Amino acid sequence: MAILSTPRSAVQLASKGRPLKEHLFRIALMASLAIALVFLALLIVYVVEEGWPRLDSTLWENQPSIRRPETAGIQSGIFGTLWIIGLTALMALPTGILAAIYLEEYADRTKWYNRLLELNISNLAAVPSIVYGILGLGIIARWMAFGFTIMTGAITISLLVLPIVIISAREAIRAVPPSIREGSLALGATQWQTIYRQVLPASIPGIATGSILALSRAIGEAAPFLMLGAATLVRFNPEGVWSSFSVLPLQIYSFISRPQEEFAILAAAAIVVLLAILLLMNSVAIWLRNRYQKRW
Amino acid sequence: MTDPRNLTPTTTGTAQIGLSVPNVTVRGPEVPRNIEALDPVFTVSGLSVFYGDYEAVRGVDMTIGNREITAMIGPSGCGKSTVLRCFNRMNDLIPGARAAGKILYHDEDLYGDHVDPIEVRRRIGMVFQKPNPFPKSIYDNIAYGPRVNGVKGKMDDIVEEALTKAALWDEVKDKIKQNALSLSGGQQQRLCIARAIAVKPDVILMDEPCSALDPIATTKIEDLMQELSRDYTIVIVTHNMQQAARVSDRTAFFTAEVDSAGVRHGRLVEFDETSRIFTNPSDKRTEDYITGRFG
Repeated sequence: MAILSTPRSAVQLASKGRPLKEHLFRIALMASLAIALVFLALLIVYVVEEGWPRLDSTLWENQPSIRRPETAGIQSGIFGTLWIIGLTALMALPTGILAAIYLEEYADRTKWYNRLLELNISNLAAVPSIVYGILGLGIIARWMAFGFTIMTGAITISLLVLPIVIISAREAIRAVPPSIREGSLALGATQWQTIYRQVLPASIPGIATGSILALSRAIGEAAPFLMLGAATLVRFNPEGVWSSFSVLPLQIYSFISRPQEEFAILAAAAIVVLLAILLLMNSVAIWLRNRYQKRW
Repeated sequence: MTDPRNLTPTTTGTAQIGLSVPNVTVRGPEVPRNIEALDPVFTVSGLSVFYGDYEAVRGVDMTIGNREITAMIGPSGCGKSTVLRCFNRMNDLIPGARAAGKILYHDEDLYGDHVDPIEVRRRIGMVFQKPNPFPKSIYDNIAYGPRVNGVKGKMDDIVEEALTKAALWDEVKDKIKQNALSLSGGQQQRLCIARAIAVKPDVILMDEPCSALDPIATTKIEDLMQELSRDYTIVIVTHNMQQAARVSDRTAFFTAEVDSAGVRHGRLVEFDETSRIFTNPSDKRTEDYITGRFG
């Protein structure tokens, strides 16, 4: 009966200074978050304010021009970016998803070559994008003689995003519980039926989210295109995969390096367009994730 | 622990003198023994299961009778689930796992070279410990098995028949297109049983099917097993001895044994009619287990 004999005065429920530490820790966490958000907000406010005079329909109706910066647009850049991203999605997503399926569902991890593959995909994801530019220039543009075309750019960007697509697709596939695979196989389904009818549908939201984030990284890339020696002031929209082209980040880079004030405004307006495309893609990714999130 | 005879529920003259020596079982001479099923679906002889170099289960001999419920009991890590997963070759999915010895399914060697594990699993269904419905509608869960097996015919009828057999139809017939994950745990498990039935198997393996369920849901599954045993051969792994005693015709008691090299192996200690295992076991380890002294 030790509890009954405990003197009342021994019960100490008053705080011992812990709440202060708890508060400080919370403040530190929120401050870290605030730093990231404040700078994003500042950036958006700054570019919108700077580019405001040019945020009208002439921006996407007109083509770039050196002589008339006050009415120059970025139409060729917008179309170039859309072409590149579309073609990249066509090439990199199926390849990346199939590679991820192999690594997650078929590869025997006890074999050295599969472990080597995994290690190298992680390494590839960390390779700077300019290196992919060198690869694109040397092999695709020159050796394969694809020249500086949409095709060359899209293949280069596909190689750039492929490791990210593979890694995020693997995460999504791994998130499907093994019990689902077992349940399917125990009913006499083949491995491919199990993957195609159970694992893939269950992991599509995760794969889509990862793929969109990978593509939105690709949208902002300028370095590989610079390396490829891309034109900046293309005055026509691409007509096919063998057209020459420019992309938004490259046009922004070229506008900013010019002395006239009008080009700085034009660059800011183009940045707003680029950011808008990025935020749109990311919100689609978030929406997909929330809409189709699986609970097991 | 001094006198094992005091713990034996019925003392029908079974000699138990040699029980302190492992592996020595002395049968009572006056009761005829009938451990061999007359019409075996599975005949297991000398089955050992390896994970890599580790021999998880050693030397199992048993038979599974047609349209009978066979229970496999024993403490954790005794290899009963491992043996169960040999019956539909689910162990094939674990890298490095292999089975030695022989399992005859009717007259065919289950591990023969020409045997397709996919075909094996179509005939020998499985229900798992944790209900694992697919994240699809109730209807699609049931229809999945017949569809992947290329079954033609009226899917609506197949679904209704399977759900009816699994005693779930009345509870779900109005929400057949709803997601199966919205069902309760017990309903999900009966759905998994219905899903297994829908491919018209010969045998249903159940790996601790009630361990994640409450007592009422457990009772329903047990009643269902009794019902199903008229049409199907059922093998159930369970931690719950009362469950084995309630539902099964025969019981296999497994335990883990340490051999002379200090390695643990799962062993089949005793296999007999359930009534005998629970009233008059031949092996002291079985007796200790069912009386709650061990495990």
